Amino acid sequence: MTKNQTIDDAIDKPILTVNKLNVVARSSDKDTAILTDISFNLSKGEILSVIGESGSGLTVLSKSLMNWLPSPLVASKGSVLYRGDNVLNLSTNELRKFRGKIFAYIGSDSTTALNPTVPIGRHLVSKLRAVMPEYSETQAQKRIIDLFDAVRIPSPIERFNEFPFQFSGGMMQRVMIVDALCTDPELLVADNITQPLDVTIAKQIVRLLYDLRDEFGTSVVFSTASLPMAADISERLLVLQNGRVLEEATPKQIVDNPGTNYTKALSERVPRIWSAKHTPMKSLTQKTILSVKNVSKTYFTTDPKAYFSKQAVKAVRGVSFDVLEGENFGIVGESGCGKSTLSRLLSWVEKPDDGEILFENKSINTMNSSELKNLRNQFQLILQDPYTSLPGHKTVGEIIIEPLKIHRSCPPQAYSDRLFEVMTEVGLPKGTEVSLPSQLSASMRQRVNIARAMVTKPNLLILDETMSSLDQVEQARLLDLFDELQRRHNFTYIFISHDLALVRRACSRVLVMYLGRVVEMAANEDLFFNPVHPYSQALLSAMPTLEKNRFDASKVLLEGEPPSPVNIPLGCSFRSRCPNALEICATESPPNSPIRSGQVECHLIAQDKNF
Amino acid sequence: MTFVLSFLLRRLSQGLVIVLLVGFVIFSLLRIVPGDPVRIIVGPMATEKQVEEIANELGLNDPLPIQFGRYLSEITEGDFGNSFIKAKGGNAASGGKENAGVERAAVLDLIKNAIPLSAILAGLGTAFALMFSIPLGIAAGLRPNGLISKLTFALSSIFVSLPNIWLAILLILIVSTQLGWLPAIGYKGLSYAILPAIVLAVELSAVIVRALASSVTTTMQENFVQAGVVRGLTLQHMISRHVIRNASIPILNLFGAQLGGLLLGSLFIVEYIFNYPGLGLLTVNAVFQRDFPVIQGVAILTTAALVIINIMVDLISAGIDRRLQY
Amino acid sequence: MLKAAWKRPQFRIGLIIIVSLLVLAIILPLISSTSATTLSIRERFAPPIFMDGGNLKHLFGTDQLGRDLLLRSLIGLQNAVFIGLVSVIGMFFLGAIIGMYAGYKGGWIDTILMRITDAQMSIPVIILAITILGVSRPTAFSVIVVLILAGWPTYARVIRSVTLTESKKEFVRAAKIIGASDQRIILSHIAPNILPPVAFIAVLDVARMMIFEAIFGFIGIGIQPPIPTFGNILADGTKYLINAWWITVIPGLFLFTALISLNLIGSTLESARNEALEGREQ
Repeated sequence: MTKNQTIDDAIDKPILTVNKLNVVARSSDKDTAILTDISFNLSKGEILSVIGESGSGLTVLSKSLMNWLPSPLVASKGSVLYRGDNVLNLSTNELRKFRGKIFAYIGSDSTTALNPTVPIGRHLVSKLRAVMPEYSETQAQKRIIDLFDAVRIPSPIERFNEFPFQFSGGMMQRVMIVDALCTDPELLVADNITQPLDVTIAKQIVRLLYDLRDEFGTSVVFSTASLPMAADISERLLVLQNGRVLEEATPKQIVDNPGTNYTKALSERVPRIWSAKHTPMKSLTQKTILSVKNVSKTYFTTDPKAYFSKQAVKAVRGVSFDVLEGENFGIVGESGCGKSTLSRLLSWVEKPDDGEILFENKSINTMNSSELKNLRNQFQLILQDPYTSLPGHKTVGEIIIEPLKIHRSCPPQAYSDRLFEVMTEVGLPKGTEVSLPSQLSASMRQRVNIARAMVTKPNLLILDETMSSLDQVEQARLLDLFDELQRRHNFTYIFISHDLALVRRACSRVLVMYLGRVVEMAANEDLFFNPVHPYSQALLSAMPTLEKNRFDASKVLLEGEPPSPVNIPLGCSFRSRCPNALEICATESPPNSPIRSGQVECHLIAQDKNF
Repeated sequence: MTFVLSFLLRRLSQGLVIVLLVGFVIFSLLRIVPGDPVRIIVGPMATEKQVEEIANELGLNDPLPIQFGRYLSEITEGDFGNSFIKAKGGNAASGGKENAGVERAAVLDLIKNAIPLSAILAGLGTAFALMFSIPLGIAAGLRPNGLISKLTFALSSIFVSLPNIWLAILLILIVSTQLGWLPAIGYKGLSYAILPAIVLAVELSAVIVRALASSVTTTMQENFVQAGVVRGLTLQHMISRHVIRNASIPILNLFGAQLGGLLLGSLFIVEYIFNYPGLGLLTVNAVFQRDFPVIQGVAILTTAALVIINIMVDLISAGIDRRLQY
Repeated sequence: MLKAAWKRPQFRIGLIIIVSLLVLAIILPLISSTSATTLSIRERFAPPIFMDGGNLKHLFGTDQLGRDLLLRSLIGLQNAVFIGLVSVIGMFFLGAIIGMYAGYKGGWIDTILMRITDAQMSIPVIILAITILGVSRPTAFSVIVVLILAGWPTYARVIRSVTLTESKKEFVRAAKIIGASDQRIILSHIAPNILPPVAFIAVLDVARMMIFEAIFGFIGIGIQPPIPTFGNILADGTKYLINAWWITVIPGLFLFTALISLNLIGSTLESARNEALEGREQ
């Protein structure tokens, strides 16, 4: 069946019709509306994206399509029709024949979707046989293993017998796609499936889903918070806000000609990487404030396959860089690249096995405890998660002045002056000092974190994924706040993030990490316009943007996932995924070649005399 | 397989260290506390000289580590020493009359004779407890706000508040003396084990039923249960194949950490009250008679038994949940 | 958490019962004309009030030496609660110190401390009690020591494991980065978060320790007569079980009432705590 036929067929009879669907949260005295008058159609083989921010009702909508509303949610009005039958009226028994066979669902929390104590293959085989009893055990196994191969899960037979906790988030999402599609359902509800994944992996999954739709002819409802991703995959978009459909249109209409202010704002908020001008702070003095020299860190974990020996997880392998006074230095990379270990080393919560870190030309390795304490005064870290980084039983005021107490930075009578001064600076309203962190919103908590870090007037701030838990509006506000604070107090910051768009906006120089190594370091403009390392190019190609991506994902996007930091391949650690690997890459580690504003580790560059 | 072997090797060697440590502590305790064991053997009428002779003969005048070393080397040959009190054949040899020459019973033999009886009692008690707790615990866990759950909760509150000594006495008074349904004192057949086993079962059930209910409730709330239903499997399938499997792990651990000790402890008391001739009665009597070789033999063996129960529990848990192998 | 527990009737019932029993246990012996150890041969084997021959003077009846069973039960309760409370407080603090230190420090300190708890936990309580108490003349102090020795490892384990999870949390890293000392982090950041929930469950252990105290007394290794304890009251009574069953049954029922009220309080606190913990994680 060709794609054109599919669409023609679709126009005739929609397989899914949602008609004025209302969902409420029901309590004894009143109903609170969650979804209001949702209506749309879906044709056979079509991909419809539903986009909205958190709280817009995306997940509730996805679940109500499966007739899976957890209490106290109730569908109070309207219908979800599959070829004329109302899914919401099916009995438990009818639902059992319906779920899995006709409608399949994949959620964002794929790592918890299967019982961790049972091997992956067993889950899929028992589902396949429960839905399609005509399959024998052997036939079912064969079908699952074949499909594992089809979704490009490496060594499918071995993976079939492994356990869910041995799968990465991306691999698990592939497993769940097989689980959903093995029974040839007519509709796949994909609820925010790329949300927990790294950009390159998310991009792989989206492309996979797109290809499979063509192969299986399955219709897809794809819900996501990411407008670029929705625009990339679907023919039609539904914009959801506060449980209502604001607009239904093609991706092109939404981007070029949004019908509502909200949609317009949504599309404007998507960061522009190449078409906008960014001027992050640069170092004026060119003096080195922090110098990292060849640091390494290895962790040891139990290896169930060996006697008495442990597995060595090489998290950071010989990383060197200098941070200059007054600049904004970015460190980017995906999960497992070693950036969080590096952050722990930089903040000296853990010590490197090897190498040295110098702060203002003094080695931290050799500092005694009072020098270290003094260092803590000038060197602060703001952590990722505003929920866990504050002690829950202390008031905001106590939290913020604790560093002053520890360092005796000022006489106790001056504590409250300093407290209010710093609270005003970070935008915490008066009165919040007596609140507990749990009474504040995420962004307010993050401001408490910032205030605590700022209260001792440090010279260097490390922001470790500080923005990840905030929405884009808050992110933008906080970045402005940092700019202002930086202008006033003249400090340096190191910005550790997986989010290239934030780094593009905030940092003057950027370091890219892969498997514990620095693969490329360059000035902002150089990295984003002319990245040299194939990994940097792949990262950029996977960025969800509404602009035309300068890097074509079909040419530079990577297949597979990074190797485990336990078994790092010989030679260049990137070669197992590199589209242009040479023979030498398998045997020798690439040399560090200085280029333009920075450095790169790649044999291709080292051998290319033009650089 | 590699995991099992390396796990056993590691844990058994750790366990050996623990048993040795505990053995030494108990060995020392029994020697530094007041109460001269020789005096117990020879009786109050013996002269100082006789006391000294026997003490030398038994090696009680050597330094502690040497005594312990000797004790250990004897253990490796299967010899846990001889009772101070009991004669071979089971009669008390104490009194220190002319029967100083009577051959005293080997501790190992005493223990060997007592273990099967204690094992019957412990096995029966555990079986009763599980027969009661498993169905109720699962039923209560599946409906945490239901009637069965409330009933189970109330029942376990009562069970946990029943002092085992009192319950034992009540059972003897009512079931045995008043109603005459079951025999209670001594051991002349399996029926003598039923009442004491009920006392054990009440104590164990109080803990198991509540832990099982909360473990089932927690597992039911895990994402994979509802996700499984939405994937197209039945809730019954999820419960029977997944929930019970996962919920069993905390219960297994409970057996290792708490129930082994609980079972052993109440076994001792229950045997004493019912005059049931198992390990417990042997030990409690040994305490009254200051029969140190028996006490220390029992202490070392029960400690070893607990260590082995723990190793087995961890091994089984790691077999059910592979994550525990990491 | 306390508020949530207070809302449940079980909690209030338990509290009312145990408080009234304790008030009675403290006041009645003070105002009574006789004492728990006064012998009265003429009044031996007096049955309790509700039986033929019972009288108001001895509500619970008397034992084989004519001692008043109500007074003996009340003094027994004093002793049991004292020993239960002190030993649980002792094991809680010992376990908390060792558990927090091991969990926070990790590494070889943790390994050594945890192997010690393993060793300690491998000795059945009763064996420990028999070896320590059985060979010397037991006192309230030595009973408490034995119970603390037997009980601390469980606390150390639980507290270590929560400390471990807690010290991996970001706020501990944040505290290290602002320069807080280990001692400050443990005492002012970790302890206030983790100890109260554990303390809640400790109420259940008070009841358990009271049972142990009774068991020790019963086999003769508890506080020694003539001081009354539930253990020795019950042990005395077993000899006269057929003719004077009330000597064991009634004080036992009294103990059971005290224990069930403590268990009601403890398990309500426990479920309130569990709900609070689940709520926090959402």
